[in-house]
Amino acid sequence: MSTKRNLVLAGTTLALAFLVACGGDATPTQAPTRPPTEAVQATEASQATEAPLPTDTAAPAAEAQQFITWYQYDEQNEDPKSDERVGNAYLRKTIPLFNEQFSGKLTWVNQPQAWDKMTLALVAAVQGGGEVPDLMHTGSGELVTLYNNGAVEDLTDWIKSMPWFSDLDPNAVQACTAPDGRIYCVPVSEQPQLVFYWSEHFPNGYPKTPEDFLKQAEELKQKNVYAITYFGSTDFDGEGTTRYFWMAVSSFGGTFDDGQGNMRLNTPENVNAIEFMREIVAKGYSPEIVFAGKFQEEEPMKTAEAASFPTGVFGYRYVNPLKSPSGKEYNTKTEKDMLDAIEAGDVKLSSFVAPEGQKPSCGLSVSGFVIPKGAKNMDGAKQYLNWIMDPQNNPDWVQAPGAGLPALGSIRAAQTFQTTFYKQAIEATAGLCKPWYGSLTKLPDAKKVIATAIYRLIKEDPTADIAAELTKAQDEYNNNK
Amino acid sequence: MTGSRSSSGVRIRQGFFSRTLPFWLLLPTLIVLAAVQFYPAFYSIFLSTQEFQAGNMKYVGLRNYERVFSTSTFSDSLFITFAFLAGYATLTLVSSFVVALFLNRKLRLSSLYLTVIFIPWVLSDVIVGLVFRLFVVPDYGLLSSFFADPALFGPPNGVSILTTPPPPQVVPGIPLPPAPALIYLIFASAWKAVPFTTVLILAALQTVPREILESASIDGASAFNSFRFITFPLVLPTMVVALFNLTLGGVNGVGMVFSLTNGGPGTATEVLSFLLYTIGFGRLEFGRAAALSVFMAVINLALILFTLRLSRTGRA
Amino acid sequence: MQVTGTSGRPAPLPRSARYYRVRKVLQPWFYNSALIFICVLMLLPVLGTLNISFRRQVDVQRKPPVLFPCDTPERSFDIRACRFVLEGYERIIGPKPNPNALFGVELAGRMISTYLPNTLLYALGASVIVTTLAGMAGYAFSRYHFRLRRTLMVAILAITGIPLLTNLIALYQMGVTLRKAFPGYEERIFLIFVYVGFFLPFSIWIVKSFFDTIPRELEEASFIDGCTPFESLWRIVTPLATPGLASAFLLSFVGVWNEFIAGYLLVSKNTLKTAMFGLYDFIGQFVIGYQVLAAACILIALPVVILFLFTRQVFFRAMVEGALKG
Repeated sequence: MSTKRNLVLAGTTLALAFLVACGGDATPTQAPTRPPTEAVQATEASQATEAPLPTDTAAPAAEAQQFITWYQYDEQNEDPKSDERVGNAYLRKTIPLFNEQFSGKLTWVNQPQAWDKMTLALVAAVQGGGEVPDLMHTGSGELVTLYNNGAVEDLTDWIKSMPWFSDLDPNAVQACTAPDGRIYCVPVSEQPQLVFYWSEHFPNGYPKTPEDFLKQAEELKQKNVYAITYFGSTDFDGEGTTRYFWMAVSSFGGTFDDGQGNMRLNTPENVNAIEFMREIVAKGYSPEIVFAGKFQEEEPMKTAEAASFPTGVFGYRYVNPLKSPSGKEYNTKTEKDMLDAIEAGDVKLSSFVAPEGQKPSCGLSVSGFVIPKGAKNMDGAKQYLNWIMDPQNNPDWVQAPGAGLPALGSIRAAQTFQTTFYKQAIEATAGLCKPWYGSLTKLPDAKKVIATAIYRLIKEDPTADIAAELTKAQDEYNNNK
Repeated sequence: MTGSRSSSGVRIRQGFFSRTLPFWLLLPTLIVLAAVQFYPAFYSIFLSTQEFQAGNMKYVGLRNYERVFSTSTFSDSLFITFAFLAGYATLTLVSSFVVALFLNRKLRLSSLYLTVIFIPWVLSDVIVGLVFRLFVVPDYGLLSSFFADPALFGPPNGVSILTTPPPPQVVPGIPLPPAPALIYLIFASAWKAVPFTTVLILAALQTVPREILESASIDGASAFNSFRFITFPLVLPTMVVALFNLTLGGVNGVGMVFSLTNGGPGTATEVLSFLLYTIGFGRLEFGRAAALSVFMAVINLALILFTLRLSRTGRA
Repeated sequence: MQVTGTSGRPAPLPRSARYYRVRKVLQPWFYNSALIFICVLMLLPVLGTLNISFRRQVDVQRKPPVLFPCDTPERSFDIRACRFVLEGYERIIGPKPNPNALFGVELAGRMISTYLPNTLLYALGASVIVTTLAGMAGYAFSRYHFRLRRTLMVAILAITGIPLLTNLIALYQMGVTLRKAFPGYEERIFLIFVYVGFFLPFSIWIVKSFFDTIPRELEEASFIDGCTPFESLWRIVTPLATPGLASAFLLSFVGVWNEFIAGYLLVSKNTLKTAMFGLYDFIGQFVIGYQVLAAACILIALPVVILFLFTRQVFFRAMVEGALKG
């Protein structure tokens, strides 16, 4: 019987807790500030758990058309320590501004998504006929997957008719082009890869050749410093393929494909690159945490326990706070730390090492927008894109959600991009970078297969025959294409 | 009035509604199950013969099955799953049995102990995995300072449970012995499963009549012998049921792999359910994922029917 | 004194009375300490998580890690120097002063304001429906011998073997079709419906085995008094079957509470997502904020642990009934 009493008790407690939880949100005082959009968002406002949108006070128009974006950023996340605070803050600032400018015509509503699940969510929504946004913020690395699954609109004709098209970097346009030769995304920001390094650890600049690198790495090791840290795990379905692995392979002159859509890994260049990566691991020039998964590899860079960190240009945003080898601290815990360190010359940017006679290379991805199949307000989306491409608004976007360098050539001259960081970044990457996938089409498969193979060769089984393993991996992909 | 069936033994009002009552009672359940379980299952079979190409579904016959089964990822995964299940079931059963033997003594605090021991069961897989991960993250995990000590474990950097590669393969091509991460995963899973199994075994132990044990003891049977000839045979059927419950849960559980190792290092903890997840929702190959899920469903059904048969004969 | 056992062989020497006295004192002591040891072992991960959740960011990132953030430059452990803070919890709960809210503080964190209430709603909704349906079906299986009864029962148990993961593809598309067909379509109702389907089969078996223990004579007596079977079910059997129904309710509740994948994929609006999704989101956001992750784990797990502590007997019975008597 006491059990029964307990049950009733627990049930009541829960019910009460629920009431409180719901009641707490729907505080009556919020209601008077939101009536203007009640008509637009009638359905959502009725949900007790819906938090008020910041647009509410700014958008008075009743007949303004909604247009919906998917970003990995969330304007309602006000946590000043969130990894995505820059993008979050951008949306928080820009959404009301935009809605004011387009008052009566458009209302921008953002629906935040998890960055590594956005493609899945969109593909599922398009194939299932679900609700899709009018615009999705994405990277060119996802484009082929979206294209293969028929999830995105062909934008070729529209984009070519735009006045800003001729100003776009051809490489960026190329990255937005699907295997059928048509353009499916609008590139706004380029995110090439480069190396962040502590200048105190490399007083003579970053090494140019692998031999030089290994020599200096050995010296650093004597001082208990890891020469390099990088994303080395197979996590995120093989994300490593697109980062350090590709940077090393391409700098050695290698590729992952044969130009005909087949995977070709077993080439002398690739074998050399993998031998180089293997030596770094075997000699202990990189910390163990690089294989731990998630994005924890950046930690040793923050404390200068690792001397260099190859990653995307957007890395400046995530790697903080910083502590230089001589103990100087950059401790605002925002992207300002890295920018300050670069300004002060403590951290510098460089391209990767390359063998004698070879130009260093790097990965290139483009951050921009796709219009999903089934978007309801395509016209609104296009107006928004034009707004983003406007010189007035473009630098802000490139700097915040874009986290890279402008795809529009003329914008590179803007005041925003005259800092030491941007100058070094542009210099370290100019004309060198290209997408990792080349002519491959099953990118999620390829990513996983390549990351697993390289990981296995450099870490799991450092004695395995490189050529044989690579052949095995490429066969697995090619046979199952 | 002797019949034990109400429908035959007692004269009740025989309206249409009353006569067909069982049907009406079952109808909502059948509708829900048909919609949420049967239909998707058949849809999976259909989907396993399809492939998305440039947005359109195309019939490809058994190609998806071929593509899944021919990869080394799949065969590796089979062995990893097997190693995981063997370790997980053995560890859980043995430790649950020991705990249940302790709990079977009439102690004043028995129910308190049982309550504390049971707590892991109500926690979510995802949470348990994450928590166990926090302890062993390289550099920062509470246990990692021990494992990362180069003096104790090999140079250059010491080791971390999450990153240490598996030892060299005994038979080439078969990913055994398992990586430390898999063993750690087994411990984490067992930690969560021990409570449930303990309660089952405890219930079975309590059905062993005390008088028999006492008279055996008076007759001079050693504790070991009375355990071996009286207690164990009575508990055995329950152990078998528990074993299959564990196996079933182990085959299908993905949450813990997901938050603890995410399949890594490399592919060392990619059990079948995780492989299914990555193929389906990581690589968006729904057709291949469906093929793999049909394969897993067959294994599961076999397990369930087998358990059912055993538990029925065991109870007779 | 030589005693001959029933088997005819000589019995071992009888132990002295003193042996038994000592054993009587020592044995409980031994068992208690062993069990306390086991309990501590089982609780270690929980205690460890609590320990992490109350740390400061700097103490989380110490290299090498310290067992307790209580060291001073002089001593390795000083209880007065312990630096346990609420930072991790604050970042999850996100308290913001708001003069209009209850107690002048608004809980702005998504976890508290959105995800946990959603989870509670889904869990309560689904388990109420599961309990009702399982009660009806369990009664039918327990009391009536109709054609296909055994087949249906086995079939219902067998479907638990279908992996949930790919069912989701079909379920997702079903949700979309329903959305098109019914203008008033509500994602939350659909998700609850799916959860009901997931947790119903097991519940039916539990409830049925509870019904089996209720003597039929009670109902037969009620029939003689003129009750219809339905009245008899409602007035006589249901009250007696309460423990069984409670088990079904609790197991489904905990199951839905802890479920991740379906809640994640079948709901598109972020404001309707569940606590497990919130946790997943945090894993991505707080790469190195282990104290935040630990705090989130504690906050999500706390309600079910409390629920369990209140109702543990029901849980234990449900386990045994469901797994063994099925």
